[in-house]
Amino acid sequence: MAIEPTETPSTVVDRSRDLEAAAETAAVANEGYGKAIQIQNLVKRYKTVTAVNDISLDVYNGEIFGFLGPNGAGKTTTIKTLLGLIFPTSGQVTVLGKEAGDITVKEKISYLPESPYFYEHMSAREVVGFYGSLFGLSGAEKTKRVDMLLEQVGLQTDSRKPLRAFSKGMLQRVGIAQSLINDPKILFFDEPTSGLDPVAHRDIRNLILHLKSEGRTIFLSSHQLSDVELVCDRVSILNQGKIRRMGSVEDLIAGGNVEIIAENVASDDAKMALLKSMTSDIDVVGNKLIITASADTQTKNRVLDWVRAGNGDVLSVTQTRRTLEDIFYETVREGEIEAGTAFVTPSSTESMEVGN
Amino acid sequence: MSTIWIIAKGTFGEAMRRRILNVFLFVALALIIMAFAFSSFEPRQELVLIKGLGLSVILLAGVFISVILSINLLPIEIERRTIYSILSKPVQRYEFLCGKFLGGLLTVLANVGLMALAFIALLTIKEHSLDTSVIKGIVMNAFQLLMVCALGVTFSVMMTPFVNFFLTFSIYFLGSISTVWASLATDDGKHSLLTVYFFKFVHLTLPNFDNFNVQNSIIHPDVHITNEQVYIAQCIGYAIAYSAALLLVATFVFDRREV
Repeated sequence: MAIEPTETPSTVVDRSRDLEAAAETAAVANEGYGKAIQIQNLVKRYKTVTAVNDISLDVYNGEIFGFLGPNGAGKTTTIKTLLGLIFPTSGQVTVLGKEAGDITVKEKISYLPESPYFYEHMSAREVVGFYGSLFGLSGAEKTKRVDMLLEQVGLQTDSRKPLRAFSKGMLQRVGIAQSLINDPKILFFDEPTSGLDPVAHRDIRNLILHLKSEGRTIFLSSHQLSDVELVCDRVSILNQGKIRRMGSVEDLIAGGNVEIIAENVASDDAKMALLKSMTSDIDVVGNKLIITASADTQTKNRVLDWVRAGNGDVLSVTQTRRTLEDIFYETVREGEIEAGTAFVTPSSTESMEVGN
Repeated sequence: MSTIWIIAKGTFGEAMRRRILNVFLFVALALIIMAFAFSSFEPRQELVLIKGLGLSVILLAGVFISVILSINLLPIEIERRTIYSILSKPVQRYEFLCGKFLGGLLTVLANVGLMALAFIALLTIKEHSLDTSVIKGIVMNAFQLLMVCALGVTFSVMMTPFVNFFLTFSIYFLGSISTVWASLATDDGKHSLLTVYFFKFVHLTLPNFDNFNVQNSIIHPDVHITNEQVYIAQCIGYAIAYSAALLLVATFVFDRREV
């Protein structure tokens, strides 16, 4: 039985139609809300490398937008473009209706870089005050705002210690406090929970939800998929400079997964690569293959066809809940296959016949 | 409070804690104190030697501090990513650049000031009076360092600290022998016109550090500048104009640079 590769030109077109449909759905769902961020056909090239390849997205006022992707996908490049730190090769990027980098826009936005570093000779109070001064805050107004923010991030008691004595988690809290000093409308958070202990992690996640409840827009780049699933209204998954998936978390994980257990499947590298392109996870346990794939009929049938083509026996087919992590892996794998850089596990580098 | 001043203060606070700069400062202070150990000369010769040596030590230490500090002001901000959180605030790039430059310059002046205070205090104790020509020498040194800082910061927006280090030092050295370029630029019939114009270009383009070396008149009291006040004012004006021109170039480049 012939098994068709999943990523044919027609499915690529389908995927781009999916993205357009997702954008349209979001536009309908957010009708009446203004667009906080608009990216149209953004391309960013560095000499021979295309970091961002023709991406378009809208982020609406008051939503938390998750911006996901593996390392090197183009997330930070996009954020830097939105902040005016780097310039697009082509395409349009507007924030609050104005060109990215506009000084009046910067009054209303805020950025928390990944693993922020601050002047170490300063205390938390001085750092937050320093950033407040850049917004023209001074005197009692600045002191009041700094006190309030340090209280909010739980650093009031350590506020006068120099930053060199701070742990990573405490520095991250300082970073969050400085990012709120101007009462921003849009917050760009790049890995805000990176390297934090579970308590600090939960505190910051709750703070993000609190900020949303205050009506702020949050552009969240994170590898913590469980957090993203919990707090984000919509997400986009970027890989190799392109948006591969976009939509609400519910829409993306809709349909669930199917777990297929098969045994005695004759296979080789090419066949395993094909299976990988259709699934989000494959485990080899003894002579059994535990395959996790999207529960849609087409994918499920393709996987079952693959097992039968390898003269394998299907032991069970079980419906399971999909997670954002499944979608993320699928997306990354699709990108790798498209680019011909799919990671091949050692177990699949040799010709194999499971169980035989 | 101006944004430039806020950034300058932050830069000054951070830069004053750099250990390598403190090393130069302490070595220079030690050399200045050691200069007072000369006792095998006649009293006048001894004082001339101490003044010349002291001013040279202050200048040399100042140049090292200026170069090492100024070439790293921007790259460190980029490496540590502090630049992202600052430039994402309502801060114009020229404000950031000028703030960094001003903070660096304040650090250099604070270090030079400490060396100068120690030098003048020891000299006054030895001479039993305050020699104003030494103060003029220190002021001229300070304005040379203004240009060195401007050079370092300007090149730092275009090249790596490693290349910048050698380039800034080379320009300082070449600018310190500007009288040589001036003489080569004189059309005395011995050189081709192309050579003359080349050296004229070199003489006009390179910062003229040579004019600031007033130690000569301290070491050789018989050499007099006709109108000293005008001369010093011209030198100061030149240093300010040259540094401003450099910073304009730096701002132009930095405005278009991706960080």
